[in-house]
This record gives sequence, C-alpha cells and structure tokens, in this order.
Amino acid sequence: MIVFLLLPALLLLLIVFVGPLFRYAWLSFHANSVMTGLIAIPNGGANWLRLMQDQRYWQDLGQTLRFAGVSVGLELILALSIALLLDQRWRGRDVVRTLTLIPWALPTTVMALGWRWIFNTPYGPVDHFTKLAGIGSLNILGDPNFAWMATVWADVWKTTPFAALILLAGLQTIPADLYEAVRLEGGNSLICLRRITLPLLRPYILLALLFRIAQAFGVFDLIQVLTGGGPASSTESIALYAYWNALRFLDFGYSSTIIMASFMLISLICVFAWMFLQILIPTHSKSRGAIES
Amino acid sequence: MNRRFLISLLLLWSLGPLLWQVYTSFCSDQALIQPFISHDHRWTLTHYQNVLNANPPFWRYLVNSFIVGVSSTLLCLVLALPAAYALNRIPRRLSILSRLALVGAALFPYVLLFLALLELAREFNLGNQLLALSLPYAALSQPLAILLLNNAFNDLPPELEDAAKLEGLSLFQRFRWILIPLISPATASTAILVFLFSWNEYPIALTWISDSNKLTLPVAMARIAGSSIYSVPYGAYAAATVLGSIPLVLLVLIFQKPIVSGLTSGAVKG
Repeated sequence: MIVFLLLPALLLLLIVFVGPLFRYAWLSFHANSVMTGLIAIPNGGANWLRLMQDQRYWQDLGQTLRFAGVSVGLELILALSIALLLDQRWRGRDVVRTLTLIPWALPTTVMALGWRWIFNTPYGPVDHFTKLAGIGSLNILGDPNFAWMATVWADVWKTTPFAALILLAGLQTIPADLYEAVRLEGGNSLICLRRITLPLLRPYILLALLFRIAQAFGVFDLIQVLTGGGPASSTESIALYAYWNALRFLDFGYSSTIIMASFMLISLICVFAWMFLQILIPTHSKSRGAIES
Repeated sequence: MNRRFLISLLLLWSLGPLLWQVYTSFCSDQALIQPFISHDHRWTLTHYQNVLNANPPFWRYLVNSFIVGVSSTLLCLVLALPAAYALNRIPRRLSILSRLALVGAALFPYVLLFLALLELAREFNLGNQLLALSLPYAALSQPLAILLLNNAFNDLPPELEDAAKLEGLSLFQRFRWILIPLISPATASTAILVFLFSWNEYPIALTWISDSNKLTLPVAMARIAGSSIYSVPYGAYAAATVLGSIPLVLLVLIFQKPIVSGLTSGAVKG
C-alpha cells in the first residue's frame, strides 16, 4: 500500500532527474547532430577529446567559476549583514523583511531586462552616475572587463534575499542568553559574532552556500537576457554554451558532453565547498569551551 | 540613527532598481534621452498602451503563466502529499537515504536538464502545450515539496493517527479528514513556492514553447529583449517589466507569511 503512495512521485523523479543523466552519459559517446541527421552514431570518446581541446569551453568554465565565486561570496556577506539587521527588534521590521523579498520573487528575465536599461550606455542611470562622478562613460555592457561585473551585480541583487532569509531563520534559533553570557565576560559584538553567531549559524551558512553555488554554476536566464553571453562571449556561462550547442548548432552529442562534464564538476565543487567550510567555521562545542575557559 | 540609515540603504538596494523601471515606464522617449527636458513632454502613458495593444497583448502572457502555475502546483501537490506521508512509513534507513537524495535533487541546477527534457517533449509531442509544461514543473519542484510536507507530517503527534485507526478510518479517510487539514499551513507554503517556481521558470519553457500565443511571461520578456543592446525601446521594456512584476509583488505582499515559513522550515529541518 505504502509503495503505491510513493510510486507516482518516484517515477516522475526518476524520469526527470535520473533518466537525463544516463541519457547525457550515453549521448556524450555518440555523434548526434545535423551532420548525422540527428541520429546517434557511436564515436568513441571524440566528444570528450573535443571538449579537452575546446578553448571556448575552458574560457566559459573559468568565467562561470568567476561568476559563481564572486557572486556567492558577496551574497553571503551581504545576506549575513541583512539577516543581522533583521534579527534585531525595531518597528516595521516585518514590512521591511517582506519588501526585501521582492527581488527574489521576480522572474529573472523580467529584471534582467530592467538591468539592461539601468546599465545602458549612454542613457542608463549608472552611466549618468559615472559621468557625474568624473569617471566618464564606462560602456558597462559593451566592455568585457565590466560586463561580467554587471551580471554579478544583478545576480547578487536577486538572490541575496533568499540567503538572508535562511540565515535569519538560523539567527532566530540562537538563544539570547548565550550573547548575554559573552557580554558578562566583557566580550564585545565582534566576539559575539565569532564565538556564538557564526558557529551556531554554521549549518545554515552551509545550506545557503551549497544551494547558491550549485545554482550560480548553472546560471542561464540572467546572462542570456542581460548580455546574451557577450560582449565577445566574455560573460558566457557553461549552461549558455551547452544551450547554444544544442539549439543553435544542433549538436546534441557535444551539448550532452558539456552538460555531463558540468554535472561532474558541480558535484565535486559542492563536496569541496562543504569540506572547506567544515574546517573554516569553528563548531559550536569548541566555541562553548572557549567561553567557559 | 545608524540603524535607520542601514534600513534605508537596504530598502533602496532592494526596491531602487524596480522603482527606476516604474519611473522609466512613464517617461516619454525624448525624456529618456534628454534628462533635462521641459515638463510638458516629460510624462506619458504610451509605453503601456503599446505593450497592452501589442500582438499578442501583454496580458496574454500573464494568463498563460497563471494557467501553467496553477496546473503545476496542483499536480505537484497531488503527487507530493502521498509520497511525503509514505516517506515516514518505510524502513528508517531507506527514509533517511531518500531524504538525502531529495536534498541533492533540490540543490541540483535543473537548467542542465533542458536538453533531455526537450528530447522527451519531442518524443511525446508535448511541445507548445501549456498544460504539458506542468509535467516537468511538478517533477522539478517535487523534491522541495516532498521535503517540506514530510517535515509537516513529522511534526504531527503519532497518537493522532493511531486513534483514528482504532476508530476504523481507512487510509484515505485518515488522509482526507485528519492529516490534510492538519498540515494545511505547510501545504499552503509549498503551493506558493511551487507556483512561484513555475511562474518564473525559463529554460524549459523556452525550449518547449515556440508559439507566440502560448509563451509564458519569462520567455515573452526574453523574446522582447531579443533585439540588439543598442537599438532598444526601453520605455516599452520598462512598462513590460512593471506589468510583469505587479502580480508577483502582490503575491509576496499577500502571502509573505507562508512564503517565509516555507523557505525557513525547509532550512531549519532539512
């Protein structure tokens, strides 16, 4: 009986999550493109060899890692600050919390279009600002040195509320008397943050981080609408490259190879990020010892 | 004072870009190019008129997205509710293992699935059908939905169901009259999060739908943006951005409680 309750959901999950991975693994060892009339023909490891030598892939991989690293890093710092602010008691806090959620709820493509106008040269507000500030016109979306920063900016704007909300939930589980104990012993806010807040927030930081790294690595909507991968593919992400290969060049075999490689990479990165954070953030038991001693 | 400054900064950061779109959408084309134009030519409603009178009109995309959102949410809940319940009644090891797998699936950047899903759509002729989109959407939001609902079932006291069993209620009756009503807050949170996901989803809608009358809002926005960066009717874009944002801003303002509790209960217990 129980099995019948689980079966429909399980079946759907297998079709949508597990099936594709096997399909990609299989396709990545086949030529399947317009050249073969969209029929899969085994080609040994030719796709993988091509991937190894594909400069555009490696460039996109570097760009994707840069995008994910910088935006997730900024986002966590910002989210922690926002969560600390929202954790304090003040009038109108709930209203502000709701309002900060709005960027997260909007469809990515909607605001990506908005950001295109904001970063527009010469009519957008950012361009007006840099001119007023004496820096001059930067041509943000047309310059490979700046365009990727614009994508990071837009991503941080959209996804920080989510991380802040997770961290806020964590902050609200920390009992207030722990802070009082530190203050009684003459500790200041900074010591509170290091000895109490961060260690107890650890599982929440880990969760927000893993989720955001995985999502940022797969960035697609934002970049496709904001820059289209340009200028000169300087903001192109791996997901966008896989998409071009499938839908523009109609090369399903190679697109699968890119996706398969990305999937393995993202799993590795998540494992490493998790281990790294285990070391970086002290556990609570240690910190409690530090307070008591 | 310091805190008030920080709060203003936070609000400016969160709402500024959106308010700038609102401002732009009412500016005439000349005003956008020459910031210091005289007041007579400054404000206009033509951008909204253009967007709403376009072919297909803008509200069509909102209706499409709404249809997809509702059907995906319903399908997702119908599948996730029994599964979340059953997850507590299988051997403990297996249950923990499946929860871990679900967390992994929830973390997965689903955009990478687009190619295999596109092949499925071609195989089974699911392209260009709004209701068919709810299949992948319900499936992709399944991990989060099952985890959230499973948490809710876990929080119920087990004596409750035992008592109902002694009364002779069948599994379906217990489900319908006791369990579902008790976890309705969690169900509401889950439903809203699934709806938000379906409303905002882009890569799959992009590859499944090509008929311009059936586009969902995110794809329509991207298609509007499809032209070159330099020759762009930004007033109309801003009007589209504002119109596309209004339903979600309302949704967040009305349902902020279930949204927050859904997101955080996933974090606290997951």
